[in-house]
Amino acid sequence: MIGSNTTEAHPVLALRIKKAVRKGATLVVADPRAIWLTKIAKRHLQLRPGSDVWLLNAIMHTILEEGLEAEEYVREQTEDFEAVREVVSRYPPEEAERWTGVPAEAIRATAREYATERHAAIFYTLGITEHACGVDNIWSLANLVLMTGHLGYESTGLNALRGQNNVQGLNDSGANPTYLPGYQPVDDPVVRAKFSEAWGAEVPERAGFRLDQIMSGLHDDRIKALYLIGENPGHTEPNAHHVAEGLSKLEFLVSQDIFLSDTAERYADVVLPASSFAEKDGTFTNTERRVNRVRAAVPLPGNARGDRQIVLDLARELGCDWPEYPDAESVWNELADLCPNWAGIRYFRLEDEGLQWPCASVDDEGSRFLHEKTTARPSGRGKFHPVEYQPPIEEPDADYPFVLSTGRTLYHYNSGAMTMREDGITDKQRDPFFEISAEDASSLGVADGDWMRLVSRRGDLQARAQVSSRVFPGLVWMALHFAEAKVNWLTHDVGDPLIGTPEYKVSAVRLEVV
Amino acid sequence: MIEFTLDGRPASAQEGELLVHAAARNGVFVPTLCHDDKLEPYGGCRMCVVGVEGSPRPLPACATRVIEGMVVSTNSNVPQLQKTLTEMLLSEHLNADPGGRPNELVDLARELGAEAPLILPDAKREPYSDRNRLMGYEPDTCILCNRCVRYTQEVMQCSALSLEGRGPEARIVPTWERSWLDTECELCGGCLSVCPTGAIYEKFLEGAGVEERQLEQTKTTCTFCGVGCQIDLNVDPETKRIVKVTSKPEYVSNEGDLCVKGRFSFNFVHHPDRLTEPLVRGEDGALHPASWEEALRAAADGLKGVIRRHSAQAIGVLASARLTNEENYLIQKLARIGLGTNSVHSCEAT
Repeated sequence: MIGSNTTEAHPVLALRIKKAVRKGATLVVADPRAIWLTKIAKRHLQLRPGSDVWLLNAIMHTILEEGLEAEEYVREQTEDFEAVREVVSRYPPEEAERWTGVPAEAIRATAREYATERHAAIFYTLGITEHACGVDNIWSLANLVLMTGHLGYESTGLNALRGQNNVQGLNDSGANPTYLPGYQPVDDPVVRAKFSEAWGAEVPERAGFRLDQIMSGLHDDRIKALYLIGENPGHTEPNAHHVAEGLSKLEFLVSQDIFLSDTAERYADVVLPASSFAEKDGTFTNTERRVNRVRAAVPLPGNARGDRQIVLDLARELGCDWPEYPDAESVWNELADLCPNWAGIRYFRLEDEGLQWPCASVDDEGSRFLHEKTTARPSGRGKFHPVEYQPPIEEPDADYPFVLSTGRTLYHYNSGAMTMREDGITDKQRDPFFEISAEDASSLGVADGDWMRLVSRRGDLQARAQVSSRVFPGLVWMALHFAEAKVNWLTHDVGDPLIGTPEYKVSAVRLEVV
Repeated sequence: MIEFTLDGRPASAQEGELLVHAAARNGVFVPTLCHDDKLEPYGGCRMCVVGVEGSPRPLPACATRVIEGMVVSTNSNVPQLQKTLTEMLLSEHLNADPGGRPNELVDLARELGAEAPLILPDAKREPYSDRNRLMGYEPDTCILCNRCVRYTQEVMQCSALSLEGRGPEARIVPTWERSWLDTECELCGGCLSVCPTGAIYEKFLEGAGVEERQLEQTKTTCTFCGVGCQIDLNVDPETKRIVKVTSKPEYVSNEGDLCVKGRFSFNFVHHPDRLTEPLVRGEDGALHPASWEEALRAAADGLKGVIRRHSAQAIGVLASARLTNEENYLIQKLARIGLGTNSVHSCEAT
């Protein structure tokens, strides 16, 4: 487990891990915090935030040094291995210890255990991706998996645990500037022609902006209007004061949501009351690519409308001549008809349980393993990407001596729009808090529960100190759930150079007693 | 496969299979109370006792593994034993049906024609109250089967609950009799999901107008993380409100387990803060209720105005992982051919 606080972010999946450990599986946790899973782990690699590449390259260094790589798999199923061999040779465990804080022997032992166990899986979450080197981190993990051939069969693989109910499906269904539905690239004229014909209108050729580019576009006049559906970027995007400033410059903002967010209240020109999950039919796709049915159980409140209906109404108002789409299934069928990997998934097959894509036809049982026969790349070969360590964008210094890392707790969900309205849950956790080590608390003279001010170059907030053995001296951690103390006022907005993912996991702050 | 004899007929079982499972596959239902397939064999309540040739006393089918040539009988003196055991449990079961919750003991008693022969004079147990608003415990409904405690130990691997006291004083309590909120309990409600008699229950159901047995269930997918737990929304047929969330062991992905959010965070659906009318910002700078016609016109005109003054490329569309595949599909279609931009993305860019 690396960069995944599984018992809090994916509690039910964590039950499977607990069960596996109970039955004798070896668990190694790599995380800057001593999260719950470290209690049952054989080993905790408590690395410094942002030093993942050092750790992973040193693990690979050991594997190659000791000849533990899956030689045949590397030869038959992969490409560009030699470039990785060259890079990781410069990352010995002893030096990794200095960069990561993880003892060299622990790195070596982990390398041996992982490489020699046939059923060894890697799970990761946003602790890996939410870095300016997020893509590098993923490539490093992919290198490790390919090098050891842990792919395409039971209890192996590189498993991303999706943080929200339909992260997977959102991307599958084409809400992405680079891909049309089913990961069909929008810059491919043949693909565009196919969708243009099916939709009876031209798909624009010009590349779209990613989220981070849309956000920076608020400031440089590229973006003049936003249509937000179930999103509150004023809370969830990094450097949130700066985001708010950008939102204030918009000429037009539409918010379609179930609650009035603070962003919509201040900046929206039109607010459209929408549907919660309990009021609609459709599908969500979970983290193992399983398409599951969603079914309406209760009526919509007041004059709220279903999101499908709202988008169709707006399309009509914009002059689109679209099919009727009388129900969610008719929309799904259009998607499945256009996307070969989803073609076999139809509602009548989802009554009892979901199906995992790829699923090419109605007699295809779906795919438990994405890379079962060969890796799912055009060449059929897994590609190694050599990765060099890049330090985090903002490292602690004399003015801002603490590293701030952010995340989610068990009891709340992202901006808190839903869970902060549950009395039974806020009884357990309501006030903004941050984790601080006993050593730092003592040297700053604060006790557990004291309010403190956290200050970064971009903003400040007040939260209660939770003195905790989960963090080490120099590291503080805070969740993003609190509207009155948005941790994204503090985070910086320099993201990954390739895909723009923000570095929520490393910012520099100072702490002040209030 | 191994061969054994069940009620005089030949039967087969997997190597090491529990008798209770082997019997079920061979068409013989053995009643259980303390047994749960999620948990290690326990054999505490003895409801599942069967006769095994060569054994001096009946054996619990939930904790006995089939061996080659075993001769098992469920129909000699077993029904009488089950009835007597049920009567013993009923004699301590003062509050059999609080809130109309499903109760496996009561169902079993009805099936076996068992009634409490007497009420033990010291059966009344000390009531239990807890300041948390989610879960309650009714000692007089509890049969001390320990499923809840074993769930916390084996599945959650926490020490939130324990069995305290002896004899008539015995009851289930959160660790050191503190509030559920002050222990390491994560409020997942797994304990109440495995309780056979409804002794641990959803507190917010107290005083609800409708009995639990009459709730309408709709199977759907949880709206929180990416695990995709399959859940049943239990809706009061009169008020059309969700009153609780349950799951079933046969559901893929979660096997009936849920977390605190999946089980207890559904009141937001009916929260008074829900948006129920479209709003349009007026000349005064404030948001005002509007008709759908006005709001949709205003939205379309606003977006078209930006396209006219700048270009479609000046519009960003943020879809959401809160939405279904179908809704996201329509949103990207709207962005691309309704507005004319590929700039459709979401906070899932991470």
